[in-house]
Amino acid sequence: MDTNKNIQSKIDSTLSVMDAIETVNVSPFFKDKTMQRLFAEKEETTTVWNWFTPKLQLATLVCVVVLNVIAFPKLDDATSYDENVSEFAESYGLSASDDDTSILN
Amino acid sequence: MTENEYIGGLQNHNANAYGRLLDDFQQKVFATCISFVPNKEDAEDIAQDVFVEVFNSIGKFKGNSKLSTWIYRITTNKCLEFIRKRNTKKRFAFLQSITGNEIPMDKTSYFTEMNHPGVILENKEKSETLFCAINELPEAQKVVFTLHKVDGKSYQEISDITEKSVSSVESLMFRAKKNLQNTLENFYKNEN
Repeated sequence: MDTNKNIQSKIDSTLSVMDAIETVNVSPFFKDKTMQRLFAEKEETTTVWNWFTPKLQLATLVCVVVLNVIAFPKLDDATSYDENVSEFAESYGLSASDDDTSILN
Repeated sequence: MTENEYIGGLQNHNANAYGRLLDDFQQKVFATCISFVPNKEDAEDIAQDVFVEVFNSIGKFKGNSKLSTWIYRITTNKCLEFIRKRNTKKRFAFLQSITGNEIPMDKTSYFTEMNHPGVILENKEKSETLFCAINELPEAQKVVFTLHKVDGKSYQEISDITEKSVSSVESLMFRAKKNLQNTLENFYKNEN
């Protein structure tokens, strides 16, 4: 019984701590720091990325996609071109093997 | 400067308007932050994030509620976001360390280091216990209890901030007090 009373008094005194909390003042430089952060962020966003409007972003994306679509079939042509060149080089003895180019030989 | 001109200035990112906003609200926002997060440095960081959020989202403010209510709503959400993140980190650290079973309301698992300059030294331990117990409450109860008992806001103000009716705020407050009583009772029983 005494323990219960003791516990209850502890709880009451813990809860009463809230009434004793004093007001804390914000640091004197808070306003300056915050203003600096707000307007530094604004400048950065306006000067660096303002010109890159959503329309331009879309146009860039379309360009990249179109370039990729055009370049992809060309890949096959490029490989056949390489084959032709190496065939030509082999037939005329122009192909350079590792042994030929070695300085030690 | 009329209210409309003032809000217009904020929406146009006018430095004078933000200077006035900070003069009007820096102390109030900070007071709410330190009520939720009893650490001066953390509370100042959150308060700064609140003003950045106001700056970025002022375009969405339609004037359906008072500017102060809208700012307090942002403040409450930012504080809860901070507490959630810190609690997750602590839980993860706890799982990693595997030091044993977590006892209910273990002060070491609290989300921040207590550094509240408004708490006098002799009350420091009790305040730590109280803030830990508040942190154990469900989120809705935690918000209502903190705003009313720690930050000193009226039920009407809390009702506007949380977009709940005054009667639900009262009911949440009643449940919060009951839960706090149980948590503290268990804590002191385990301590004995």
